[in-house]
Amino acid sequence: MNKKLRNAGIVALLLLWMALTAFLWFSPPKALSVAERRPLQQMPEFSLENLVNGSFMGKFEEYTLDQFPLRDGFRRLKSIFSYNVLQQQDNNGIYVQDGYGGKLEYPLNSVSVSYAQKRFSHIYETYLKDTDSKIYLCVVPDKGYYLAEDNGYPAMDYEKLFADMSAGMPWAQPVDVTQTLEITDYYRTDTHWRQEKLVKVAQRLCDAMGVTPPKEADFTQTLVTQDFYGVYYGQAALPMESEPLYIMESQLLSACRVYNHETGKYGHIYDMEKLAGLDPYDVYLSGPQALLTIENPNATTEKELIVFRDSFGSALTPLLVQGYQRVTLVDTRYIHPTLLSQQLTFDGQDVLFLYSTLILNNSASLK
Amino acid sequence: MLFSSVPFLYYFLPAVLLCYFLVPKGLKNTVLLVFSLAFYAWGEPKYVLLMLATIALFYICGLAIGKANTQSLKKLWLLVSVVVGVGLLAVFKYADFFIGSFNAATGLSLPFLRLALPIGISFYTFQCLSYTIDVYRGNVPVQKNPIRFGAYVTLFPQLIAGPIVRYIDVARELENRSHSWENFRYGIRRFLIGLGKKILLADQFALLIKLFRQAPEPSVLFYWMYAIAFMLNIYFDFSGYSDMAIGLGRIFGFHFHENFNYPYLSKSVTEFWRRWHMSLGSWFRDYVYIPMGGNRVSRARWVLNILTVWLLTGLWHGAAWNFVLWGLLFAVLLLIEKWVPALQRLPQLLRHLYVLLLICISFVLFNAETLTQAGADLLGMFGFGGVPLVTWETLYYLRSFAVLLIVGAIGATPVVKRGAERISATAVGAVLEPILLIALLLLCTACLVDGSFSPFLYFRF
Repeated sequence: MNKKLRNAGIVALLLLWMALTAFLWFSPPKALSVAERRPLQQMPEFSLENLVNGSFMGKFEEYTLDQFPLRDGFRRLKSIFSYNVLQQQDNNGIYVQDGYGGKLEYPLNSVSVSYAQKRFSHIYETYLKDTDSKIYLCVVPDKGYYLAEDNGYPAMDYEKLFADMSAGMPWAQPVDVTQTLEITDYYRTDTHWRQEKLVKVAQRLCDAMGVTPPKEADFTQTLVTQDFYGVYYGQAALPMESEPLYIMESQLLSACRVYNHETGKYGHIYDMEKLAGLDPYDVYLSGPQALLTIENPNATTEKELIVFRDSFGSALTPLLVQGYQRVTLVDTRYIHPTLLSQQLTFDGQDVLFLYSTLILNNSASLK
Repeated sequence: MLFSSVPFLYYFLPAVLLCYFLVPKGLKNTVLLVFSLAFYAWGEPKYVLLMLATIALFYICGLAIGKANTQSLKKLWLLVSVVVGVGLLAVFKYADFFIGSFNAATGLSLPFLRLALPIGISFYTFQCLSYTIDVYRGNVPVQKNPIRFGAYVTLFPQLIAGPIVRYIDVARELENRSHSWENFRYGIRRFLIGLGKKILLADQFALLIKLFRQAPEPSVLFYWMYAIAFMLNIYFDFSGYSDMAIGLGRIFGFHFHENFNYPYLSKSVTEFWRRWHMSLGSWFRDYVYIPMGGNRVSRARWVLNILTVWLLTGLWHGAAWNFVLWGLLFAVLLLIEKWVPALQRLPQLLRHLYVLLLICISFVLFNAETLTQAGADLLGMFGFGGVPLVTWETLYYLRSFAVLLIVGAIGATPVVKRGAERISATAVGAVLEPILLIALLLLCTACLVDGSFSPFLYFRF
């Protein structure tokens, strides 16, 4: 009896193995992983050269991993094994604390911070030094600032990072928003902050920059999707609830036009088509864009603002618009600063450097 | 190709099993040879030719030894096989080490060869040497069938990371072996257990080691966590591979010898080497130590024999000074154990601790990239150089890896195996065993799908 049971079990194992093999061999390859927000490896081109130099084998292995049947389910199983069985505190560097996914971001990479300062100083020396521009620096804390150290996770020395940035950019007035924010102002499954929680940050910045701050009542909070899954959802591969994603609308923002210097086309503050894309967070100012200018036809002032920013600027900047006639957003990860003179004239605008600690600690992508 | 990879588990293995069990008996070795060459070529396309040349050389030398009608001619052909086999090993594995050492000693700057190390060259060269030596000694008949001999040398289950299977141990099975459902079931079970050891344990310890190396401020506690993690990493990595090799061998009708027998239970260093990588230890004993006279010689000569064998054992593991020192360290420890019998009269617990401590330290030396790093690691373990006792980062990783370390420590003893055997005999065990094996397959696949490339440690040897 025992032998029969055992044999039946082994047959079941073999059938499962054969089924997975058959799926892998014969199911059509997928193009994208929605959870991981990336294209999946396709079957590599077969040639004698690729075979001899070994590149075919490497790419074929990637192909088999990417196209494995039930890939997301298997990744989730591994995460559950790491978190729940081995009781590991993080999986692939992603941890979940009080329902918030965070990334282990440590130690402080002083070389990276220094590099960022040099890139910003280059912009200052090239375009801003001889103008009347008032320059501000706002370092946005990532979730680790609120989540890591208090819960026993390794954390970078944030205070040193803030101090180093201020000391390295003496020509910019620092604006501290750390006390304005709390962990609930961030998405649970994403790196980013929630736009509907940022009016107080916008107020803090506007106060510092000497423009009329926005009020909560100026905006209508509109739900655009109930099913937002952020980047940590895919990386942690854990069962996490989706989140609502809101946009802050107003008549003033509806009237604004957004000029994309790369495409030469006008668009809107909120790009609703992006909600159907891989990253719905791109709804704010169309996501990663090199150079945008928001034109505010209802401005009561002629002041202009230039924001050198990363992705955190996409959700925040619309809340700063009402104090300015034009707001230009520059992301030097996608445009080299030397090209800015072809598109922009620096003649005394307010300038805000708005960067997250994540980018400053990993600044190699800054041009 | 790695056993712990999707291409192996879900492409190569199904294909080889299908072909192997479909073809008639007379073609089974041919199937094994062809697939084994493909298996090797997947990782080393260029060095397949080197392996084929090695096979041809030893095959011819074997034939020549068999045909030679005088002892001196037999010896000549044996010498040819040994010189060329060891010569190839010397060129591809040790040339740059010798050149570098020579340059350092003389101040000259001879150019390096910069040859990539052919995967598994140490394993298959030693297997080939065992063949010609045993043919010379008259222990086994000459293998006249080149397919059978090629299948023996290239046999993919143990081709690239052992165990070292001597020709004498599989000679009969190369010609005539039986296949059964029992063997198949045992093989699958053993293979999955090995796969689990590699992926679920060894690779997790490798992650802790990587995190240690990346730590901005390692502490004394972190150094010890690293040392213990490496002990467990290398054990589960290598014994896991051996389990997989033994399991695959059994599926194809071969019975390979065990390669590990819970080495961390040892109460002396001598015992440790009877339990660790047993196929290598016995190879050096039978083909180097005993031919040199073993212990039936003068004391001075015996010491020389021990030092020679352990120098070679160290060098076999890698062409670097830390491996040489690692081997010589064991020579010294073994000599001390022979000369100080009082050590064996210590309480059992103390003997266990003494072995574990020395093995732990030896593996820190073994795993260092350079002697400088080995020195820094050993000093760090004992708090020298201003290393803090503990840091918040260490405590985080201790929390994060505590369960794994405990599971690893228990898994390195026979506790799990004995428990499994006891349950296995019952009806519950009969149901539970396949469920656990299915869970192992799914979990290992999950780790592979989620993770990245993680080569076996013993590939470099």
